[in-house]
Amino acid sequence: MVEATTRLTARLELAKAKGIRRTPLVPLWALVGGAGIVAAIAAYPVYGSNTYVLSLLGKFLCYSIFALSIDLIWGFAGILSLGQAVYFGIGAYFVALSLKINYALDNPTRYGGKFPDFMEWNGLTELPKFMEPLISTPFAIACALIVPTLLALLFGVITFKRRIYGVYCAVITLAESLILQDFIIEYQAYTGGFNGITDYDNYANMYFLWFILGVTVVFFFGVRALTHSRVGVVLKSIRDNDVRAEFIGYNVANYRIFVFCVSAFMAAAAGAMYAAWVGLISFLDTGPVFSIEAVIWTAVGGRGTIIGSFIGAFLIKGAEFFLSGVLAFWWQLVIGGLFIFVVLVMPDGIVGTVANWLRRRPRAT
Amino acid sequence: MFESIITQFLSGFGVVAILVIAALGLAVIFGVAGVINMAHGEFIMVGAYVAAVVSQLGGNTFVAIPLAFIVVGLLGLAIERGIIQWIYDRPVETLLATWGVGIALQVIIKLIFGPELLYAGAPEMLQGGVPLIGLLPFPKYRIFLLVLAIVMVAGTFYLLFKTNFGLKVRAVRRNRAISGCLGIDTAKVDMMIFTFGSGLAGIAGAALAPIKSVSPPMGFAYAVDSYMVLVLGGVGNLWGVVAGSAVIGEAEAVLSFVFNNVIGKLLVFLFIVLIIRVVPKGIFGYYERR
Repeated sequence: MVEATTRLTARLELAKAKGIRRTPLVPLWALVGGAGIVAAIAAYPVYGSNTYVLSLLGKFLCYSIFALSIDLIWGFAGILSLGQAVYFGIGAYFVALSLKINYALDNPTRYGGKFPDFMEWNGLTELPKFMEPLISTPFAIACALIVPTLLALLFGVITFKRRIYGVYCAVITLAESLILQDFIIEYQAYTGGFNGITDYDNYANMYFLWFILGVTVVFFFGVRALTHSRVGVVLKSIRDNDVRAEFIGYNVANYRIFVFCVSAFMAAAAGAMYAAWVGLISFLDTGPVFSIEAVIWTAVGGRGTIIGSFIGAFLIKGAEFFLSGVLAFWWQLVIGGLFIFVVLVMPDGIVGTVANWLRRRPRAT
Repeated sequence: MFESIITQFLSGFGVVAILVIAALGLAVIFGVAGVINMAHGEFIMVGAYVAAVVSQLGGNTFVAIPLAFIVVGLLGLAIERGIIQWIYDRPVETLLATWGVGIALQVIIKLIFGPELLYAGAPEMLQGGVPLIGLLPFPKYRIFLLVLAIVMVAGTFYLLFKTNFGLKVRAVRRNRAISGCLGIDTAKVDMMIFTFGSGLAGIAGAALAPIKSVSPPMGFAYAVDSYMVLVLGGVGNLWGVVAGSAVIGEAEAVLSFVFNNVIGKLLVFLFIVLIIRVVPKGIFGYYERR
């Protein structure tokens, strides 16, 4: 024990001598401010009674985790995935299917079948055998988290090991999510097809909001710790110059695969909670459009800044919910313009731009 | 069964031609300027709208094709000058900016023409089919598309390998910095090639309009197919486009027939991923010196 303490002190001394300053995981002011925001969201069911706002809060938190998963790979490891919704969607579909199957057990369809109604419409007479394990919701949740992670592992082994990344990776992930979307529409007897899965018991209540919030906070600190660790430094070096990182001796592919799996896991968790919260899941939630939309949340908030994905998701989704009614399809034009604007004028996003500005100002005076 | 597969294989040539036509413009731009144009599908869509307007005014595909080349080429020029010229050095972010351009184009077209489908008929001499011995007739329009694909590839080859401009393009592609030192205006080459590639997308739209109803979101599927052709075939070599289209087109035609459309697409995708696992830079990108 004493030995360990001396060793630690020695390391700190060494770091001080070398001029390395250990930044805190989260600065105090951010910790206090963040705690305030978390408390404000958590207490909403107490002081607010608007169920619409409540449902939006849960949704936005899921979107934020999703954006964070993109921020982790794009902002910190330089992998742009345009198909991240694949992992979100698979997680969501497992949970939605399980909830739907359980709902159908208690609420028989019009013809008395104890299996989801969309299967009946598509000519099935009973729950398919391979779906029976999904009756157990814990099993479905485990699937929702593990299957996307394994899929990401497979994808990573196939592509990153062969140094396929950058634009190629973006295009392949895009095609991946388009194919999943086609798949879901085609096999409508098992997936609900075009209409998606709806009409099941969702959990849009106070306790589940707290659960989502808790998961969000855990992921926030998790990503923060990851990107501040030694692994995080290696990831950033890969982002900035992968060839040099490889020359130094790091196994670039393995780092990429690791971070891609972590990100897929987070996206899947977001999707699983989203399905349970919203009670409606459709092929759009796995599609390329949703994926790219989430990329733009991250870009607007500021990629490479963890808090940026939260700000981006809340701002854009919030604006969409309040403005798209007024603007009708002009809203689409706003989104399109936003893509161009962010890339051309504000490549660091809101948080990055503000941070640069704060950093520059004292020097100027 | 075997005979039907032969038929599918033949009709696969039509699919290959469509892929070549759709992907050529993208390949030219990506090969030289290193930019993946996510608005490519929307450029095709605008070309198709040109064809639809021309056919409403009484013209036919032969009029529409050169007109679409000019209109979409100018559109591409405007977008290159306005947006893309500033971000050539950030290829991944160009994806986002051009995606935004694509969304904007869809909305603008929807505003002008409304959301309903438009149609552009094929010229009369290209309607109907050519009978093949013992097999189903082969549509004449598919033959026209095959010819057009060959003409487009040949024309692009001519431009790149037989003209002064093509020499500069190839020089810039090989080594941008040294080309600049030798007095080639690389920014101008980028601009010209982007315009040319956009024009090719316009031709694609005009030529594909008669086989598909014209609507604002129509381009996306073509665009994704084109990206896959590029990934598989390899960039920077026109043969890559042909090879990529041939593999994808034939595989999709036959597999979609043996299984179904979606399984066919899935298998083709897995197939592509497996191939680029072996040759990461695509079939024709492998021996490329960079």
